[in-house]
Amino acid sequence: MRRRTVAKLGLSSLLLSATGLTLPAQAQDLRTITGGFDVGPGGMPGNFNPMTATAGFTWLSLYFEPLITYSAELDKFVGLLAKSYEMSADQTSYTFHLVEAKWHDGKPFTAEDVRFTFDLARNAASGSNFAARLSGITGVTTPDAATAVVKLSAPNAGFLDTITKVMMLPAHAMAAIPVADIARNVWWSTTPIGTGPFKFNRYVNGQYVALLANPDYRLGAPKVDRVVNRYFENTAGAVAALRSGEIQFSYVESDDVPNFRADKNFRVIEGNSYVVNYLGFNQEVPLWKDVRVRRAVMHAIDRASIIKSIYGGAALPANCGYVAPAFVPSGLDPYAYDPAAARTLLEQAGWAKINGDKPIALITYYNTPQAANVMAAIQAMLAQVGINVVPRIVDVPTYNATVYAAKPDFNAFPLVYAGLQNGPDPSGINIGLNEKQIPPAGANIMRIRMPTVTTAFDAALAETDAAKRPTRYQAVCKAMNEELPWGTLWVTSRYGVVSNKLKDFTWVPAPAGGPYDAHAERWALAT
Amino acid sequence: MRRALGRFASNPAALAGLALLLPLLLAVTCYPLWLHFGPNDVDLMARNAPPGPTHWLGTDGVGRDVLARLMQGGRTSLLVAVLSVSLSLAIGFTVGALAAFGDRWADTIAMRCVDLAMTLPPVILLLVLASIIGTGIGPTVWVIALLSWPVLARMVRARLLEVRERDFVIAARGMGAGTLHLLCRHGLPNAIDIMVVYATLQIANAILLEAGLSFLGLGIPPPAASWGNMMNAAQSTVVLEQYIWQWMSPGATLVLTVLAINFIGDGLRDAFDPRSGLN
Amino acid sequence: MPPKAKFIIKRLLAGVAMLLGLSVLVFLLLRAAPGDPVDAYINPSAAMSPQDLAALRTRFGLDQPLPVQYLAWLRAAITGDLGYSLQGTGDAVLPLVLSHIGPTMLLMGAGIALAVVLGISGGVLGAVRRNGVVDLLLSVVAFLGISSPAFLTALVGLYVFAVRLRLVPTGAMLTPGAPFALGDLLAHLILPAVLLSIGHTALITRYTRASMLEVLNADYVRTARAKGVPEISVIARHALRNALLPVVTLIGSTIGLAIGGAVFIESVFNWPGMGLLMVTAVRARDYPVIMGAALVIGAFVLLLNLLTDLAYAAVDPRIKVS
Repeated sequence: MRRRTVAKLGLSSLLLSATGLTLPAQAQDLRTITGGFDVGPGGMPGNFNPMTATAGFTWLSLYFEPLITYSAELDKFVGLLAKSYEMSADQTSYTFHLVEAKWHDGKPFTAEDVRFTFDLARNAASGSNFAARLSGITGVTTPDAATAVVKLSAPNAGFLDTITKVMMLPAHAMAAIPVADIARNVWWSTTPIGTGPFKFNRYVNGQYVALLANPDYRLGAPKVDRVVNRYFENTAGAVAALRSGEIQFSYVESDDVPNFRADKNFRVIEGNSYVVNYLGFNQEVPLWKDVRVRRAVMHAIDRASIIKSIYGGAALPANCGYVAPAFVPSGLDPYAYDPAAARTLLEQAGWAKINGDKPIALITYYNTPQAANVMAAIQAMLAQVGINVVPRIVDVPTYNATVYAAKPDFNAFPLVYAGLQNGPDPSGINIGLNEKQIPPAGANIMRIRMPTVTTAFDAALAETDAAKRPTRYQAVCKAMNEELPWGTLWVTSRYGVVSNKLKDFTWVPAPAGGPYDAHAERWALAT
Repeated sequence: MRRALGRFASNPAALAGLALLLPLLLAVTCYPLWLHFGPNDVDLMARNAPPGPTHWLGTDGVGRDVLARLMQGGRTSLLVAVLSVSLSLAIGFTVGALAAFGDRWADTIAMRCVDLAMTLPPVILLLVLASIIGTGIGPTVWVIALLSWPVLARMVRARLLEVRERDFVIAARGMGAGTLHLLCRHGLPNAIDIMVVYATLQIANAILLEAGLSFLGLGIPPPAASWGNMMNAAQSTVVLEQYIWQWMSPGATLVLTVLAINFIGDGLRDAFDPRSGLN
Repeated sequence: MPPKAKFIIKRLLAGVAMLLGLSVLVFLLLRAAPGDPVDAYINPSAAMSPQDLAALRTRFGLDQPLPVQYLAWLRAAITGDLGYSLQGTGDAVLPLVLSHIGPTMLLMGAGIALAVVLGISGGVLGAVRRNGVVDLLLSVVAFLGISSPAFLTALVGLYVFAVRLRLVPTGAMLTPGAPFALGDLLAHLILPAVLLSIGHTALITRYTRASMLEVLNADYVRTARAKGVPEISVIARHALRNALLPVVTLIGSTIGLAIGGAVFIESVFNWPGMGLLMVTAVRARDYPVIMGAALVIGAFVLLLNLLTDLAYAAVDPRIKVS
């Protein structure tokens, strides 16, 4: 009887499993590149709508294209669907000259598509992430089919950076879809149409997504027939697949890098993460009001030691929000590791009365083993000078719910360990430090109200002369270094590993995955 | 009772278990006396050191002594295990026995409670409790207990349903015995072998569950030490391959502890079984 | 109406009531947890303004009062529409959940079948040769199986067999993009199924042995022996049948819980089953998927408990099914 039940269960499970299996019908001998393109912080697995994407642009760039994109070094703009562009003298008008390109369904790419895309992107009802950032657009005109002119209400230094992420969408295919239904429409994951070197093939929920080569791509037919993006639950799975040869590329954690460096079959790619990690001092609790206390924290942490041991040297210490030499003036206080000085500062500020050794919650959303080590090191170093922090690693929804709450409990997050994108466009950290960006207006969750910092940021954002901008940002850096709204720690490097079977492969650990000029049509498999 | 002790003492496996467990318990409770490293002494210069004369079991990713963390982690993991098992024993036995010995209503309600508890997907329960109360010993104990009592309740009920039909119970009932009396006098002794086996397996399970919770980002969060979150380091390929002592130490200790507990549990069951002497 | 049919109908009705209760419980628990789908969606390192988030919340219907949200979900659920996932592509929940049940059943089926066969044989052997060398050996192996944390054995197993020895693929259920082949499926299935069965085998062995020992000392067994019945017959016909009662309950419970998926194994191997679905949904606070999956899992477990109880009553005539 028991055996019968088990047998019945076994049979029914086999039958049920048949419904769960997919039967693709493709030839086996296609030249295929398989990789973990959405592994790591730059990835956004399962998202195929570029307007709602906060990351994952590496993959999206394979079949969608923006007007302009970043070069592979992330230092200048390169034209993609716009072969050139001009900015008017008053910087409120941008003219884009478009290339000749075809959509994946054969129809031509025109300025009408540009107008359609921008209208969609700045319409909050479409779920677009860019609605706020593009709210300065007053209109897009199309003098002819190959020219599009975008008018802004005021100069916006971050405009070009923003539109590198705005992927051009086909008006003829999407105009029929009601705007409110666009955000999570089934179109994105079944029949999206772009202009890129590859076209969408199939998506198996949670497992992988595949693209086929676009032989009519204007820059040349791709050298491989198919690209497959495999999803992994965690980086360890991707690393395992990489080492066993099942995939040819993936993002890896810095801990895994030495193994791959030693292996002749792999090439390690290293790049700037463009995220500055910091200890955020919550200005709404009395703990950090005295700048001497904040200085003491900076002196108490041996950043050089943590960088050398836990990050293996793959990070740069940050004494303000930037590490790029252009934005860092001379004469900054390096806040060298000096526990004695820290203790003196705390005594002067009267730390025993402010808090003494009562536990202070330090929350973070970084949940890798490496981050846990960092937290442990920070806790030990702060404890050495008499600051008792209790690290708490929470998941992303909990963190966001805590810090973005409408009526936040500030005692729940007196200190945070977080990161914010500080490049390639340096205005990225304004949203976290400017007094005008205190929620609900922006993301200044630490409620920082420091006039010198705010003024410096306002000046930098309003600067219309590109030559003067670096000086403005240097002023921001100086203000951050003196006032310490954040205890800025470091900017780490991020890594990817490529199998030597992949030739002419370009990948950069860009924030949010890019986009950047990857020239996917050149990627080839060694025979 | 003396006979039970005697039976226990003549069981070699049980004694071996005791011989393994007692020194471990002793070491874990008083390790600050003989170990001069603390579980949270960070020493970045000595990170990932293999076992050697200074650090007998090596160091972890931030230079903390693995042996010290093993001892501290033992305290945490064992505490969580014992508390959660006690809790689930209490809940499970009460519900299962009430279902078996009570009237039809009690049975229906109890079993529907068990069903409800079992249909609740564990992941949701884990996440929600951990998020609301926070991670740590308390929530972990409750979560593990709430996950495991339904299975015991069903097994206790199954055993006691069989017992209920036996003559001596029917007789007792006929003489007007109340449900509570039935529970303690007839229920407990007849279910104790199941409960002992369950308790021994469940202690091990609780430690393992706690380890798994850390894997999902819940349970006992670092930098506090627990065997579970020490084994978590094995997620990184580098640690798995090259710093074996960091996860093998808690792993091997766990296995030995569970082995010992199981041998003892077996010995206890044999000792309490009045018929085991007649073989 | 025969009493058994009445029993089944009563249990089914109770089951529906329970599913309702379960859905309310899950709904409330989810809302009590910090963070909603919008909080899961934001990347904290690329900040968004709370105004954008408020707009998102309205779109997801999260700003309605709780009873309204629940009733809206219930109304749709009764007609079979379990809503749409809030993650990524917004797939419909019911087909999504059902497509993940198959792989889970496959994995659990293989693992449990293996565990039942090995476990019961091991338990019987251990009980019959009690305290002998075989018993001790089996005990130790069983203990090792129980003692190993699922995710650790998974990580080690993956490393040894897939990465180092390259005997099996490192994850997923099928090779991406390749046409379906049974061999491909089996190659992907074998390692996770074996690793999964380790824990269950050990558990079943232990309980079978304990129960078997209990029964072997019972009077009716001694009577059978005294009557000269051959030992094999004693074990197989008299003892085993009764010893298996609590074990059947255990197996039933195990299968019931198994529908939830082996979360750790599925995570490490990226097996597209219910466990993985639940973990990613909970991480993203994807309310529709969590509610839908909880409902489906709940229905399965209730059904299996009912079957187990019926099986139990069939085996032991002393137990009246009411």
